[in-house]
Amino acid sequence: MSTEHIRNFSIIAHIDHGKSTLADRILDLTGRVNARDKKDQILDDMDLERERGITIKASAVTLDYEHEGKRYMLNLIDTPGHVDFHYEVSRALAACEGALLVVDATQGVEAQTVANAHLAIESDVELIGVINKIDLPAAQPEATSEEIQHAIGIRKNECFHISAKTGKGVPELLEAIVTLLPPPANRGNERTAAMIFDSHCDDYRGVICYVRVFAGRLRLRRKIRFMGNGRTHIITELGKFTPTMTPVDELSAGEVGYVIANIRELADVTIGDTITDDAEPAAKALAGYKPPVQMVFSDFYPGNNTDYPKLRAAFEKLAPNDASFSFAAHNSPALGFGFRCGFLGLLHMDIIQERLEREHGIDVVQTAPTVSYEVLTRDGKVIRIDSPSDLPDITKVAELREPFVLLEIITTSESIGDVMKLAEARRCTLLKTEYISGTRVMLEYKAPLAEIVYDFYNVLKGISHGYATMDYEFMGFEKSDLVKMDILVNTVAVGALSLIVHRSTAEARGRRLITRLRKAIPRHQFEIPLQAAIGGKIIARETIKAYRKDVTAKLYGGDVTRKMKLLKKQKEGKSRMKSIGSVQIPQEAFMSILDSADSE
Amino acid sequence: MFGNCSSKSGSEAGLYIHVPFCRTKCRYCGFYSEPIVEHDAGAVVCAMIAEMKRHELGEGISTIYIGGGSPSSLPPEHLFRLVHHAAQQCPAAAEFTVEINPGQADRDLLRGLRRAGVNRLSIGAQSFIQRELDFLGRGYAVDCIGRAVQEARTAGFDNISLDLIFALPGSCLDSWKHNLRTAIALAPDHISAYSLTYEDGTPLAKDLAAGLIRPVDEDIDRAMYELTIDDLARAGLDQYEISNFAKHGSECRHNLNGWANGSYAGIGPGATSYLKGTRSANFADIDGYVRAITSGASVVESSETLAGRERACETAVLNLRRRYGIDLAEFKSRTGFDPMQLFAEPIRTYQERGLIEKDGGRIFLTRQALGIADSILCDFALV
Repeated sequence: MSTEHIRNFSIIAHIDHGKSTLADRILDLTGRVNARDKKDQILDDMDLERERGITIKASAVTLDYEHEGKRYMLNLIDTPGHVDFHYEVSRALAACEGALLVVDATQGVEAQTVANAHLAIESDVELIGVINKIDLPAAQPEATSEEIQHAIGIRKNECFHISAKTGKGVPELLEAIVTLLPPPANRGNERTAAMIFDSHCDDYRGVICYVRVFAGRLRLRRKIRFMGNGRTHIITELGKFTPTMTPVDELSAGEVGYVIANIRELADVTIGDTITDDAEPAAKALAGYKPPVQMVFSDFYPGNNTDYPKLRAAFEKLAPNDASFSFAAHNSPALGFGFRCGFLGLLHMDIIQERLEREHGIDVVQTAPTVSYEVLTRDGKVIRIDSPSDLPDITKVAELREPFVLLEIITTSESIGDVMKLAEARRCTLLKTEYISGTRVMLEYKAPLAEIVYDFYNVLKGISHGYATMDYEFMGFEKSDLVKMDILVNTVAVGALSLIVHRSTAEARGRRLITRLRKAIPRHQFEIPLQAAIGGKIIARETIKAYRKDVTAKLYGGDVTRKMKLLKKQKEGKSRMKSIGSVQIPQEAFMSILDSADSE
Repeated sequence: MFGNCSSKSGSEAGLYIHVPFCRTKCRYCGFYSEPIVEHDAGAVVCAMIAEMKRHELGEGISTIYIGGGSPSSLPPEHLFRLVHHAAQQCPAAAEFTVEINPGQADRDLLRGLRRAGVNRLSIGAQSFIQRELDFLGRGYAVDCIGRAVQEARTAGFDNISLDLIFALPGSCLDSWKHNLRTAIALAPDHISAYSLTYEDGTPLAKDLAAGLIRPVDEDIDRAMYELTIDDLARAGLDQYEISNFAKHGSECRHNLNGWANGSYAGIGPGATSYLKGTRSANFADIDGYVRAITSGASVVESSETLAGRERACETAVLNLRRRYGIDLAEFKSRTGFDPMQLFAEPIRTYQERGLIEKDGGRIFLTRQALGIADSILCDFALV
């Protein structure tokens, strides 16, 4: 098929704005799904995705479409809705020439709509504005199109008004895909160059690569070469998702499909790498992607110590299908055995935690998320650290740098004052304010990621009565006035509680932390000082008073057995606690201090 | 100062008789008892006498203690029968205690008891503040207590103990001081002073859980305890156990035997025994108990024989409740374990913290440790 008759496109949208429903409707209209196979939202193949309304892995479907008597091949490449999966969104977009930007007519433009649109514009992808859910009574398609014009720059009269649910307007949209979106460049005669935009590991077939062919063609049983690592493989299966895997003999320039080539390990495949023909290789690789950057770290501990091997097994199963997730065994003297895990962002972290609990039945305790830092040493080296304990001796540090993000917030005009106050308290610098309608405003900040990962989103939701949405994009590391804060329990520094914090917020954080510690550590036979210190300087202090009364008043013959049992229980409780010097801390209490769930 | 009775009592054996009746149940009480009006007290007493005969009591028994429940809630003739049989079967008993409710301290009853061989009375005074007595559900007026002590003296008792409870909700250091002073003025030979315990399943514990009452602050509770030790010592009543105080020579031998982990036979529904290293408990069910006795069946509901090491732990916990503490040589000969080895770790830790002291042949809790004894004793309960 000539590239003239191919259209490669994505659907991008804020969570719940109807992306997957629209994909389903398009599949219906192109006759790809028979009723028997039909489940709502076919492209989401994990239960969790369906339930949360979030699409985690990009998928691709090839559709047949007839327009003015000619057959077209439409390749729909699905994308994650959240910009935590920035990298996956950008991979999917790079495989497309066009994208549908879907906005819910009852909600209007949200932060993630804007972030996604930015990505598409950066990737040089042609955008079609789509206003969805116009069948709902609360729909305000006119106001929504105004917002799209203001926030994104698509003219309001060019937006399509549809209801993905009822199908209204979807046939017209399909026409527009053909008429408005550009076809892929005709490079069929050039040497083969296909880009891997996703991959996953199948227990039986090994690694399945999702590819977009940009030039030349891939053929069954040909020897291919991965230009990144130089490895060669024989293609054992080529195919398209229709949406089930349908083998073909050839994928040519402009097409999207999958490649199976007897590759065992996902680690052998680099997303963004170029596949070429081994005998007649392309002169140079396609422009690749930036590798995913893990910005958020958190320690995961099994809720029950005996679940440690189960947790390890679960991570080993999860990691191969999620290139942006990492884990490493981590043993804290205070908390026992667990894992230090790296994520793209907060939502990514939540999803991993939920999958552990749901798919693997493991109860996990997760510490408050932290970010990674850059250290410039006196001898000019730059190192990345993701834990305060990795911080080199302070005399060797020339500069500490923290990650900053471009933070996009869309909120109601009533809450703007509170939102700005919150942002200011979290060290954010306002870059832009823009009213996208009479009642809604878009704020753009430069924000330290550390302040965002902590509990920012929950507070933001609270002060805006649930209306505000936010999204962020990594900008880079910058020098910052950071200090390492130690927490001392009974004058002994507790490594697991050390923090890297900005000097301006150190005292407040330290105070909050030791207040929580005071509540969590039971009284002892002696007084326990709790201190937060920077360098040698104490910046906050509290004391746990010694307990005064712990004695059984009556103990006579008749009661010995029962009272002995109680004493044994008391002793067992003591043994379960972790010792820090002579202070015993129940592990659960320790967890509650670090737990992200109630950070305020 | 505690040496005499504490170390000697180890070889004694006691008889405990549990009267499972009360006129009304007190709101804090976790012991087994039932309202007397609902039962045939005569039949129960007969059964208890029959149970006594099942044991070979004899000369080996040196103390008798009739408690409950409320022994004085029994019709006098039944209580006299119990006392008579106990005295007859334990001719060598040197101490014979009966618990008396101040509201039931009838002159004739006390005289009758004295004549039958009872030589020690434990009067459940609890408080000299009417509001507190009402709160506890005691059912008598404050002045009954003084009268009961008076009648007891008149009846010829020269060994009288008073029970007191402190740290009641709403009490303060001053109100407790008043209670102590009033008790001391009655010149008892012995006082048991207990910090209020919210026993599981009692109406008081339910009120606490429901937030209807607020326990006294821990610091005040402790201050009351310290005040007790000091005030009673000034009145000549020295502390010899965590909650027990006595004039020299008036320590309760029966209970000292318990803290020495000595043997005793328990009689009656819900009573426990500790004989030849086995702890057993009788049915805490009056009808079931009577049926078992009349049909010649066992009344033991559960029993447990501790292995040497566990028994040693139990002995240590009980011993350490005494101010005298653990007699190292006696402990070793009784249990087969050297306490300095078996408990090397807790002894070292708590010696460092000034909570345990070693003096000659004994180790004991320091004054500072008494109020937080459980946090220390738990390390002796399981090694």
